[in-house]
Amino acid sequence: MLISCNKLKTHIKNSDDINWLQIWDTFTIRTAEVEDVRVVGNSFEGVVVAEIKECVAHPDSDHMHILQVDAGEKDLIQVVCGAPNVRVGLKTALVKVGGRIDDVKITARPLRGVVSNGMCCSGRELSISDNHDGILELPTEWENGRDIKSYLPIDDIIVEIDNKSLTNRPDLWGHYGIAREIAAITNHELLPLDVEEVKNDKQDLDITIKNKDLCYRYCGLKLENITNNQTPLDMQIFLYYVGMRSISLLVDLTNYLMLELGQPMHAFDARVVKSIEVDTAKDGDVYTTLDGVERKLTHDMLMIKNGSKYFGIAGVMGGLDSEILPDTTSVFLESATFNAGSIRKTAVALGLRTEASARYEKSLDPNMTDMALKRLLYLLRQENPDLVIASNLTDVYPFVLTEGHISLQKKTLATYMGRVLPDADVKMYLEKLGFKVEVAKNSYEVTVPTYRHTKDVFIEQDLIEEIARLYGFENFEPKPLKLELSPKEHENVFTQEYEVKRLLATKYNMHEVHSYIWYDTSLLKELDLTKEGIKLLGKNENNILRDDLSLSLMNIVNFNYKNYASFGIFEIGSVFKKKESYRRLSIILVSDESALEKLYNGAKQITKYIFASLKNVNVKIMPNKDVASYYDGSLAKKVLVADDTIGTINVLSQKYATKIAKKKTIVTIEVDFDKYVALAKNPVLVEEVSKYPVVSLDYTIIVKRGKYADIETVLADFKSNLIKKRELVGTYENKYTIRYTLGSNNKTLEPKDLQTFKDRFMAHVKDHNLEIME
Amino acid sequence: MEEELKTLVTDLQKELSSCTKEADVLNVKSKYVGKKSRIMEIMASLKDMNVDDKRKYGSLINNTKKDLERIANEYLENLGNTLDVNFDDTLDYDVKMGSLHPVTIVAKEVTDCLKKMGFTIVAGPEMDSEFYNFEALNIPKDHPARDMQDTYYLDNEMLLRTHTSGVQVKAMEKYGAPLRICVPGRVFRNEDLDASHENTFFQLEGMVIDKNISIENLVGVMQELLREVFHTDVKVRLRPGFFPFTEPSYELDCSCLICGGKGCPTCKNSGWIELVPGGMVHPNVLRAGGIDPEVYNGFAFGLGLTRLAMMKYKIKDIRVFNAGDIRYLENFKID
Repeated sequence: MLISCNKLKTHIKNSDDINWLQIWDTFTIRTAEVEDVRVVGNSFEGVVVAEIKECVAHPDSDHMHILQVDAGEKDLIQVVCGAPNVRVGLKTALVKVGGRIDDVKITARPLRGVVSNGMCCSGRELSISDNHDGILELPTEWENGRDIKSYLPIDDIIVEIDNKSLTNRPDLWGHYGIAREIAAITNHELLPLDVEEVKNDKQDLDITIKNKDLCYRYCGLKLENITNNQTPLDMQIFLYYVGMRSISLLVDLTNYLMLELGQPMHAFDARVVKSIEVDTAKDGDVYTTLDGVERKLTHDMLMIKNGSKYFGIAGVMGGLDSEILPDTTSVFLESATFNAGSIRKTAVALGLRTEASARYEKSLDPNMTDMALKRLLYLLRQENPDLVIASNLTDVYPFVLTEGHISLQKKTLATYMGRVLPDADVKMYLEKLGFKVEVAKNSYEVTVPTYRHTKDVFIEQDLIEEIARLYGFENFEPKPLKLELSPKEHENVFTQEYEVKRLLATKYNMHEVHSYIWYDTSLLKELDLTKEGIKLLGKNENNILRDDLSLSLMNIVNFNYKNYASFGIFEIGSVFKKKESYRRLSIILVSDESALEKLYNGAKQITKYIFASLKNVNVKIMPNKDVASYYDGSLAKKVLVADDTIGTINVLSQKYATKIAKKKTIVTIEVDFDKYVALAKNPVLVEEVSKYPVVSLDYTIIVKRGKYADIETVLADFKSNLIKKRELVGTYENKYTIRYTLGSNNKTLEPKDLQTFKDRFMAHVKDHNLEIME
Repeated sequence: MEEELKTLVTDLQKELSSCTKEADVLNVKSKYVGKKSRIMEIMASLKDMNVDDKRKYGSLINNTKKDLERIANEYLENLGNTLDVNFDDTLDYDVKMGSLHPVTIVAKEVTDCLKKMGFTIVAGPEMDSEFYNFEALNIPKDHPARDMQDTYYLDNEMLLRTHTSGVQVKAMEKYGAPLRICVPGRVFRNEDLDASHENTFFQLEGMVIDKNISIENLVGVMQELLREVFHTDVKVRLRPGFFPFTEPSYELDCSCLICGGKGCPTCKNSGWIELVPGGMVHPNVLRAGGIDPEVYNGFAFGLGLTRLAMMKYKIKDIRVFNAGDIRYLENFKID
């Protein structure tokens, strides 16, 4: 929202005491964020009032004129001008020779052979309006030769306030509210607004609110005999500076009131609008708004209407057929309050967020509608002394909003502030903001003005905020929390995640990545995969939540495989099924096609290492039949803790791997991280080291048909109390070398003990049809 | 005399340096410190010196003898330890290292600091109900935050959480008061991507519930936290903010570390970065969590972890976080 400091100054007594450039830093930390402070009006110099005394057509041009103007000097000045509205007697703005517009210095120079000693300017050329239809037309009573800045509020400071930081402050959506804040912050006095009272000795207008839930108050006033519809220049400049187009006095005044008070208003042509109903639209009706666009209506949109005839979409935009025309002399003025949520929904549904709807969305104070009408009447009267009030100020106000009352306990205030404030300060802070305060023994009895009571200030804490911000957040001293000596750690998920991440990054040189939690649908399409997951509403692509973290990481594999011959990435993230989300660890190992064996066995080692080092758990890796179609079925493994599956190891089928990373092998490890977190660390059981020496025996077993897993079961079956340890120490083709470490805690093993072991072992192996290399 | 003693030492060193065998070293040692060595002669002559000379040279002679013995012994010792080196000891290698995601690194730093202040790190689900994401946080049905424009709603009547604040009420329900938690986590907003907007980013929720908590405690924790994270006193400012689940609410800005406060695209030329919104927990939220606001109060804050990582590492484009480009990510060594 753009704010003009010139306008603010008119609302504050002794406003020149305020440094209007610097106050905005304070405003930011007291009230709302200021995004920009801009000095305007400095784009030109040496522009004076000049009266056209003579005007003749330029002999060598079809549109230029040669003017002799009176700029308050002894001699008339000759100026060549191409504007269509030049005429004798017109007073306009002249940049004299030596003056400047933007970066152009004005010099005497010939225009098609005739010397021009200066330049007459349009509003746009002076950057004070967007009007470029002709040169400025200034009031005839202005003195020739005087700087136009002495007549017009051209030098101004324009401030942009972040709209987002005003969402909870409906009272700040107009200059008057901002002025109230500035006055409170700087300890100045806010001036009342000039209004014209309405006697109400005429007829009421015919106004009916049919839907009282959506329209809280509707005030109407009919005015006639409006003959001057010309907006004064200073108001035009103001409107231009704050980003509003000047149209005609009546339209401009409704906008002006919105910018001043924050109360949106509407002027209907009284020839069209004679009586009003406020009610919702009929589904499927079509209506053309002021901007000439046809809008499709639905039954929850609130309308200003009469019978089946619509006049406007309440709080959003008026209609084309009741708009103010150049020949309009009588108007039906609307100043109303609507339900914030309803206006917002309508505006969003129509894709039509207007200045009015933006304000209504904030929950405006219904108690300013009549005031706005009286203020508009006052301002309109300045330009139309003969206007006629043709109706009562008609006020339909079903449920009156009254001031709020909050009892603020001194104890609560002191707790929140961390200190006790003097009663006088509390009273001052609140009263400057328009609250009324009675100081009681243990509390402050606070009356909340209605402009802060639509949705903003209801409870003690709301008042504490008002006090705290005027006291100044910068005046709070940081105070540490008192730490109890028995800190409780309720959860350690984060720590466990971090441990695993750190292990993978430091021990295995892998890179942690983050991927989106929805599948890349274009990749799924490329892979010709369909996923029936939870869907994001209102989206057509990337709209399926992942149920396989590894698959969603394939994008990242695809992105990187050209830059690295081999790499490992991992993520701990969520996957989703039905109404539940689950945490998963996914590790993706990528290398050349030829490295499948190394990569695959590496994956098994990594998996075992994670559990062994961080949980002291020895996991089992077994074949897995239940595996997604895009993984290779023969190599699919599940990772077991006891008999519970806690993870999987897979190889992406070559068909898919080729599409993701050409000539690469992709191996995935996935761990159910919820189970991982819940898995208790095995206690470390210290086994006494035997005093007696141990003996190592190596056996190489030949497997004719089958795999290591087949001999593993045979070996596991062989029991002896001499076995301290058994490990696979080497493989070559179909030969597996097993090392037994034998020993006893009571004695040094004798040759006969070893012989017995050997004999038993050989017999056991042979019984199972395995061959041992001697 | 001094000259001669000095020469003895340098001579010994010179002779030793050409020795490669133990026997040679022993011979040299005997020559310089043995019974018939020059230093022994000099020591013997000490008793014939006059008192002045005795005082002048006595300790010098003794020390020289000790030095000679030490040098010879050291050489002898080193000779036994010498490795048989037959490789190029000047080779150099690059360090191969994995990397942690920058957000993980920053989250670890922040949570480490909060843990010291007694906070527990708590997790919450990324897919959540409207109740926990909105209702319980005092965000009514027609609040703009609930719009489709900002929130990813799902076809299972759930949504993707728009903030980590949903964990506030869950944690209150689960653990009661007093409570100190922080919740690092991923959140989702329906936004178009550009250099400063992501639909998926990280926040860290912090909440303290206790008796007699003041705004000053909040300021204290924030200052401590930022000092720890940036390893420097960062300029901060508090200004009023508005969130339905805190009252009073504030926005904490820190001076933009990318431009140093001069103004740049990251800080939208303001010199300040909105970093930690927060405030005193709204009584309705306490009630939703089953905690009596007459007895307890507290504060909550939301730290933009992704934004913090951008500040810390001077990352200009937010899209790098989820792009997974290893060439970029491998910069982030494990802190």
